[in-house]
Amino acid sequence: MTLSKLSFRNAKRQTGDYLIYFTTIVLAAALLYAFNGLTFSSELLTLSKFMETLPMMIVFASIVVVCIFGWLVSYATGFMLSRRSRELGTYLLIGLEKKEVAHLFFLENLMVGGFAFLLGLLLGNFLYQVLRAILLALFSCPYHFTLAFSLKAAGLTFTYFTFIYLLALFKSRWHIHKMKIYDLIYFDRQNEHVIVKNSKSRQRLFTFSIILGIVGTILLLMENALIGILGAGCIILFLYIFFLTFASGVPAFFDRQPFRKYQKQNLLIYRTLTAKLGTMGIVMATIALLFTATLISQGTGLIFWGIFNARSADKYCFDLYADSERPEGIPSEYLDYIEQNISVEQSLLYCIYQRESNEFITYLQKNADYYPYNQKDMVIRYSDYQALRSIAGYPNVTLESGEYLIHCQRYLKNTLKNHQPVIHFGETTLSSAGIHTEPFMQNNYTTGNGHGFLLVVPDDAVSALAPHHFSYAANTTAPVTEEQYEALDTIRNRVCENIDELYDSLHTEANEKATVASMTAISIFPLYFLAFALTMTAATILTIQQLAECRHYQTQYKLLQKLGMDRREMAKTLRTQFSIYYTLPAVPPLFISIPFLLHTANATEPGIMVGAFSPAMIILNTLLLFFFIYAIYILMAYTTLKRNVLPENL
Amino acid sequence: MLQVKNIEKYYGNKNQVTKALDRVSFDVAAGEFIAIMGASGSGKTTLLNCISTIDTISAGSILLDGVDISGLSDRKLAKFRRERLGFVFQDFNLLDTLTIEENIGLTLSLNHQNPKNVQKQVEKIAHTLGITEILKKFPYQVSGGQKQRAACARAMVAKQSLLLADEPTGALDSKASKNLLEIMTQMNQKMKATILMVTHDAYSASYASRVLFLKDGRLFNELLKGTRPRPTFYHEILDVLAVLGGDISDVI
Repeated sequence: MTLSKLSFRNAKRQTGDYLIYFTTIVLAAALLYAFNGLTFSSELLTLSKFMETLPMMIVFASIVVVCIFGWLVSYATGFMLSRRSRELGTYLLIGLEKKEVAHLFFLENLMVGGFAFLLGLLLGNFLYQVLRAILLALFSCPYHFTLAFSLKAAGLTFTYFTFIYLLALFKSRWHIHKMKIYDLIYFDRQNEHVIVKNSKSRQRLFTFSIILGIVGTILLLMENALIGILGAGCIILFLYIFFLTFASGVPAFFDRQPFRKYQKQNLLIYRTLTAKLGTMGIVMATIALLFTATLISQGTGLIFWGIFNARSADKYCFDLYADSERPEGIPSEYLDYIEQNISVEQSLLYCIYQRESNEFITYLQKNADYYPYNQKDMVIRYSDYQALRSIAGYPNVTLESGEYLIHCQRYLKNTLKNHQPVIHFGETTLSSAGIHTEPFMQNNYTTGNGHGFLLVVPDDAVSALAPHHFSYAANTTAPVTEEQYEALDTIRNRVCENIDELYDSLHTEANEKATVASMTAISIFPLYFLAFALTMTAATILTIQQLAECRHYQTQYKLLQKLGMDRREMAKTLRTQFSIYYTLPAVPPLFISIPFLLHTANATEPGIMVGAFSPAMIILNTLLLFFFIYAIYILMAYTTLKRNVLPENL
Repeated sequence: MLQVKNIEKYYGNKNQVTKALDRVSFDVAAGEFIAIMGASGSGKTTLLNCISTIDTISAGSILLDGVDISGLSDRKLAKFRRERLGFVFQDFNLLDTLTIEENIGLTLSLNHQNPKNVQKQVEKIAHTLGITEILKKFPYQVSGGQKQRAACARAMVAKQSLLLADEPTGALDSKASKNLLEIMTQMNQKMKATILMVTHDAYSASYASRVLFLKDGRLFNELLKGTRPRPTFYHEILDVLAVLGGDISDVI
């Protein structure tokens, strides 16, 4: 048999034995191809001018993802090398040279990698269509299926793959070069030794790791880049020390209370955990690290999405909006351009007034998460309010004389419900007639329709009030295009050139949507790209480890059956061994990422992270998505393991 | 104690049937040490597997203390195995990840014995079998002979009534084999263990009080040791084997 035939046979077997690993490599190629496809798609990149930064973000994420997959392939080939040590030892024993063995191993990995790459391209095309559909939907563009194979994307994916595989193969070549036949043949017969032997230093290290974990998490929340890096360093140290001392601590616990290991199925579970102490500790810590990064990526992605959505939803209400704090009102240059170039259906030039009192601001400051950008409470005339509601497409509201209304952001409603005092405008006294919360351009800092809230009063009540700023709102027959917005923006730059600290606000619904869509694509796509790569890598490594123990489990359970262990008890033991193995590395990441995400979600301006994007929902959705992908791997691993270890006829 | 009545075991399908056991019958009294001999493929291991309930019989019945074990449910069979049977295998079958002490204690743990007494019981049997000093070691750290003694300890520690040994000396050198057989004799005589040992080694069989010979799945002959010295019994076994027609290299 020639070397290449033997390689081919081994490659085939490798694909079967490590199906989950192979599937992940195919998915890796698919992910890389699909995201690369985005960077080369002129259709998608011209959706908005903001999309120009997408390729850079994707390439940046790709570099990180390639490193992660590179580590996975390197780890998996190294792992296979050690699992097949006896076979490789036998090759050396029958006279094959190390060079030939390395060549054999190289060839079979090349075949597996090549096959995965081709399959990945096919799947990647499908995945690309999914991403394309999502992007088009974000921009509210219609999606039509068009079969497109990007040679450039395939070329870049190929380059990434070559890098990933060359790295792994050079490492394994070096490994083979260093091998001794005896070590290879007797490699898997030993249990690993306890890493930290001294019980006192282990306890101290364990406690120290917990402190490091807490300190690291707190430092991460300090909102300072340098301190954050220090925090990340503490967390990495925490995870490694924690898992190594934890693994070493388990035998010590049973040494102190030997009878406990004979309770129920403890003995088998505990020994499975401790058989590969060193490796398990390091693997668990690395997996936990990857999971932490995954949860943070996914959660941050959702937070970004929430921020962009909420900030814009408030501005979506008018097709076209402008405001200015100049005492002379909205510059005519804007209005001239609009009149000549934009088909306006309904428009309003109006004024926002300020009260002499700041009682609402003071109340909100005390009772809600509210930052006062204005000195006084903002006020609008009822007739302007009605016209604006009509422009925004909201139903009419009625205001009787002697009444006022509050229009506020949704998150302030409950607070303001408890504060609807009688207010005075000179001689006029007004009592509250209710609160409205539709999006109403209330997210601007000092301008807009009041920051967070606005008081709507009868027209005659404002006669004595001073104007704060002037605004213009309109709805148009067709969406204002990005070019039209650009033209208005150019006018703004011209008219605001010589005015210190004054910068007119300008919003168009179409531009807001394009900005949100682009920002979402630019930030969320790379973050999720990273998160998928991380989850897949971590889950694959756990699964490879677990399934590699199949033969060991088989022997163990066959013997247990002979010794009279009940099948139900065997299934229970296997389940417990399995769940501990998959639960352990997922626990510390929860304790790190949940506070981090909660803090980040709460650090945004108030009123942003509400409803589907409230901190609790962000945590819930992040966990759901993460555990969904994780559960797929767990399920695949468990069914394979159970089928092999506890077949029906056992 | 054990009654094997006309058991038959067939393998294969409708077109091709292999008869592994053919109307085999014998009784084992409590405290006996019986060896079952035969050439490769004679059905020795199949017989042992059927008695140990790992395999099922096609016809006949096996009664242990009057209970027909062929009619028991899977759960009862598992209970039966862990409470009544002890196993010693050719390849030791100790779990690599457990220490010798834990391998022995595992049987007690499976029998749901009080965890606080497990260590004491293990230490007691280890002392009897001379393996106290290796209790904290893992199987890969001890010799084949020590592993097999540990397996014997595991087979006896829960006071199982019947010890089933499948080629227990198969993987041992002559010195370790002799040592193990003497220990098994000691277990049989002092601890009153009933032993059923499958072997194709005449020397090992000569330690038993009775030898059953199997040929092509049928019981061919039976030899009783009586009061004869072991070397004489050994030669008698060899004589029977010569008549049995097995290859001499198979049996020594």
